[in-house]
Amino acid sequence: MIEPSPRLRNRCAIAGCGNSRLGQVPGVSSLDLLIEAMANALDDCGLTAKDIDGIVTRGPDDAYCHHQLIGERLGINARFSTSLDNGGASQILAVAIAAMAIDAGLATTVLCGYGRDAWSRTHRSEGARVRNLTRPESQHAQEFGPEFGYFGAVAAHAFGAQRHMHEFGTTREQFAEIALAFREHATRNPAAQIQAPLTAEDYFKARLIVSPFNLYDCSLRSDGAGAVIVTTAERARDLRARPVLIRGFGSFNNLSGWFADENMIKTAAKESGEAAYRMAGIGPSDVDTAQLYDCFTYMVLVQLEDYGFCRKGEGGAFVQSGALRMGGSLPTNTSGGQLSEAHVEGMLQIVEGVRQMRGAYPSERQVKDAEVALISGHGGNQVCHSTLILGRA
Amino acid sequence: MAGAEKPLPRPAPESRAFWEGAKEKKLMLPCCDACGKFWFPPSQRCPHCLSSNFDWRETKGEGRIYSFVVYHRVYHPAFEADVPYVVAIVELDEGPRLITNIIDAPDRVRCDARVRVRFEEADADVVLPKFALIE
Repeated sequence: MIEPSPRLRNRCAIAGCGNSRLGQVPGVSSLDLLIEAMANALDDCGLTAKDIDGIVTRGPDDAYCHHQLIGERLGINARFSTSLDNGGASQILAVAIAAMAIDAGLATTVLCGYGRDAWSRTHRSEGARVRNLTRPESQHAQEFGPEFGYFGAVAAHAFGAQRHMHEFGTTREQFAEIALAFREHATRNPAAQIQAPLTAEDYFKARLIVSPFNLYDCSLRSDGAGAVIVTTAERARDLRARPVLIRGFGSFNNLSGWFADENMIKTAAKESGEAAYRMAGIGPSDVDTAQLYDCFTYMVLVQLEDYGFCRKGEGGAFVQSGALRMGGSLPTNTSGGQLSEAHVEGMLQIVEGVRQMRGAYPSERQVKDAEVALISGHGGNQVCHSTLILGRA
Repeated sequence: MAGAEKPLPRPAPESRAFWEGAKEKKLMLPCCDACGKFWFPPSQRCPHCLSSNFDWRETKGEGRIYSFVVYHRVYHPAFEADVPYVVAIVELDEGPRLITNIIDAPDRVRCDARVRVRFEEADADVVLPKFALIE
């Protein structure tokens, strides 16, 4: 077996980051939201589009050759550009591929990003709202699903939550603590889509969507985008913003399927995390803050186990200890995450990880003395996973 | 949106035999001649050993509920009268797991409960393999 190369440890850095307006941004396409985030990322580190020689993006599912559309809007050609197809795992994979392209000498300064218009798209009409149409219908299953009334990502993840509850005694109170902790973080984030405090009473009064999940177990429908600029650690030191080191990354894909084996309750975060830890030369006890892909509360709980922050089956007790809150043992999704800040398929998790590693937030939002951040991406029919470990420079 | 019809399966070429079997109230799956394993969803080569020699064989139609969910939200107007309804992953005794409905009341459904196939006509030409708890 070939090990992840420590040669890439700290070789590259994230030099700039940015986000667009978040939440409900009617009348703006996902492409324009992404360009807004990219312009902010360039401005953040004092570069212009002409300094960019690489682009790695992931388009909305109905866009063809998305990176070309981005280059056209930025007015640039690129030495290296592509767009990815790993769902919510794509955004970290973009950063990883950027670092590999830079290491291979194919590019020096790579712009990565993702934008979506999921709020606008699902609010165009009553039919679009009911059917929750974030993807074109041509991509929906044609058999072995819809005829049984099986639709949507909520149910796919709720299957995992139900099995986890059955095997390990995990409870809805434990899912609630994840929603409550992230909402508390969002109350300190003026950009968050939802900033109103959430109580346990609110949580348990909420309508069920696909049980065991209720409204607050589910992430938001958001318009928004995020972008980061990857370059060598050496070059990043000369730019305007404080750089953040890419200490390691990894990925793993349970291509046998979400329903196969034990994939719903022992996710690809395990192998993806192990690869990232090996590249970074660290373990879970070295991580100061986590920014996890929280499409649903349960996914946070299971990833905490799979990343080794606690043992398998003990994710519920771990979150109930208050670990995820500011001042806890592992402050997690400190922007509010996809459950409360905005759901941009993991892209904003990267942006928040970068900002935490810069250490420049006001004290109520800053994880104190944080040196290492672990960030996760999950998607692609629930089986693709990616991990990014960032470090303070 | 009243009067909306439930979606019917639009079979891929490789899964037609599954739906033909269901019309005759048989739960048919591809089974490999080389390694003897069943698989699902249907495809033209065994995913266990990549052999292209296989037969469609009738399963016993029994298994256990690996996991399940209860739909409270209406995602498709044709299911409005059905909520709350149970969608489950059933693991057949032959190994493969399928998406289906459990026709029993949601509060009686548990992970690992034993179930048996119960064929239900969706229209004159389509029969759906659903499952019921074995008492």
